[in-house]
Amino acid sequence: MILLFIENFRISLSAVFANKLRSFLTALGIVIGVLSVTLMGTLISGLDKTFESSMSWLGKDILYVSRYEWFSGMEWWEVRNRPRMRSEYVDKIKDRSDYALTVSPVMQRGASLSYEDKKARTEIFGTNEDYMETITTNIVQGRFFTRNEDRSGSRVTVIGDGIKEAFFGDKDPIGKYIKIDDIKFRVIGVLEEQGKFLGLMSVDKQAILPLGAFKRIFSKRGWMRLSVKVPPDKMDESLDEMYSVMRHIRGLRPDQANDFAINQTKLFENQYNTLKIAIAGTGYAITLLSLIVGGIGIMNIMFVSVKERTREIGVRKAIGATKGMIMSQFLMESVTICSIAGLVGLLLAYIFSIFINKFFPSTLPITLSIYAILMSMAVGMISGFIPSYRAANLDPIDSLRYE
Amino acid sequence: MTLISLKNIFKIYNVGGEEVRALDGIDLDILENEYLAIMGPSGSGKSTLMNMIGCLDTPTSGIYEFEGEMVQVMDDSQLASIRNRKIGFVFQTFNLLPKATAQHNVEIPLVYANIQKKDRTKMATDALESVGLADRLHHKPNELSGGQRQRVAIARALVNKPSIILADEPTGNLDSKSGSEIMTILDDLHKNGNTIILVTHEDDVAQHAHRIIRLFDGKIIEDSKQDS
Repeated sequence: MILLFIENFRISLSAVFANKLRSFLTALGIVIGVLSVTLMGTLISGLDKTFESSMSWLGKDILYVSRYEWFSGMEWWEVRNRPRMRSEYVDKIKDRSDYALTVSPVMQRGASLSYEDKKARTEIFGTNEDYMETITTNIVQGRFFTRNEDRSGSRVTVIGDGIKEAFFGDKDPIGKYIKIDDIKFRVIGVLEEQGKFLGLMSVDKQAILPLGAFKRIFSKRGWMRLSVKVPPDKMDESLDEMYSVMRHIRGLRPDQANDFAINQTKLFENQYNTLKIAIAGTGYAITLLSLIVGGIGIMNIMFVSVKERTREIGVRKAIGATKGMIMSQFLMESVTICSIAGLVGLLLAYIFSIFINKFFPSTLPITLSIYAILMSMAVGMISGFIPSYRAANLDPIDSLRYE
Repeated sequence: MTLISLKNIFKIYNVGGEEVRALDGIDLDILENEYLAIMGPSGSGKSTLMNMIGCLDTPTSGIYEFEGEMVQVMDDSQLASIRNRKIGFVFQTFNLLPKATAQHNVEIPLVYANIQKKDRTKMATDALESVGLADRLHHKPNELSGGQRQRVAIARALVNKPSIILADEPTGNLDSKSGSEIMTILDDLHKNGNTIILVTHEDDVAQHAHRIIRLFDGKIIEDSKQDS
């Protein structure tokens, strides 16, 4: 049996390579099918990784209180009409909430930073001394600012790894002065490297200032959010409590709607899962479609192959091939075409995945690759079945006479 | 010893509602090491008879015993096995696989007989040597002359050491020189103890045989022995 298998494989390869162009065109559907399913897998694996690292940056146990809901699709003017967040809320929340562990106000704006002749356009954040509690990033050099530095409006700053690299390279930045929109700030700490948020936005090029100095120099009434750290095992309770605390702070009557929003990373996850389902759905649809089209192509070409080799089938039967042997020969041929197509698809997917990897970290998932190959073999089996069955049941006498 | 025994064999086709008796009550015994020619005009049923003997076809009725085994009750794989091990076919049009070398062509019956690659190569080489093609092992059919192709086909028929060699118009597509070379090979095979059945309509080809059967309308009308 194994001998016949080897022989059949040999015949299949020679049949495939004898008609290279034909085999290629026939197999294109399978190539595209395998390519689309594996690329989709690559894309999703990449998104998963990126998403995970981005989410860890945000922190799962943080409630983000601000004027607008993430992904709500609210009109800008509705958001605009809502009252701003205020830094006074920090203490009010701390007083009224049982769950809030720390509360940190965050203001943000764009600014240009410079050191000596180097310049960078980036985001600056104004916050309080508890900020480090609400992010997952660590200080790798120096320290964060203190409550006193915040209250006294000290011009100190903690910079992101990207700014440190750009301005100081390997030199020690601690104690040096950089200019933020032409105002001198003393560098007191450096954040560890983060990578890009969702693969797009770098969070390493940032500078964090005490809110006191930020408000005094850059804006008193800018956009603000509050990061409230709560116990991770009490997310739901904390959320409920935070709504009532905020309503109380805002003095809302029971019949009034919320004029603020409380966001969590879960919202990102929901949004992300929707995106993932969309990508997977599209990927599977393309795959299914191209496999069906490809399978029909394979079936068609196998009918041609059987027809062309009718006489050969007659000869083989005359010299001792059973129906089963003929059947396996043609099935093998169809499976071989499909497997080669699958491997080509996989190779292309691999090349593409290297390319994709340049944009965000992604890998070709191995299990999916194996499934893809098995899938193309299955397509070969299914679409080769009827032509092979027909070949096996050809009458040897008629086949020998076939011109 | 009786190799083949046909008793009251009928092969009846129904063509457009009309009954066609391709074989009409054939009784025939073929002994070991006989050299037999089946002759007759076209439509006389000689091809049908040859297909029947070659186990490519089964009779509508009658009893066919091959080495004492009932052929008409065999299934596909048993028939295939007899064709593979007991019968060597030689066709008028050679019927070699065009993309395979001479050696590979000769090896194919051995693949179906499940013989190891090493042994296959040896047996195929020996068979090709025995028909004088030792220097053509790796040529493809289109690189060989007609006579050489037919010799490859004979080597393929021989390679499994069959009980009979069935040659259907073996010289029909050859010039007279190549044709007589092929007949010499068949004569030699007979001398070495093989049983040979020729199907031909050429008298000078039939003269090589020791027994001639003439068919007409599906019946044997003459069964004569002759000295060579």
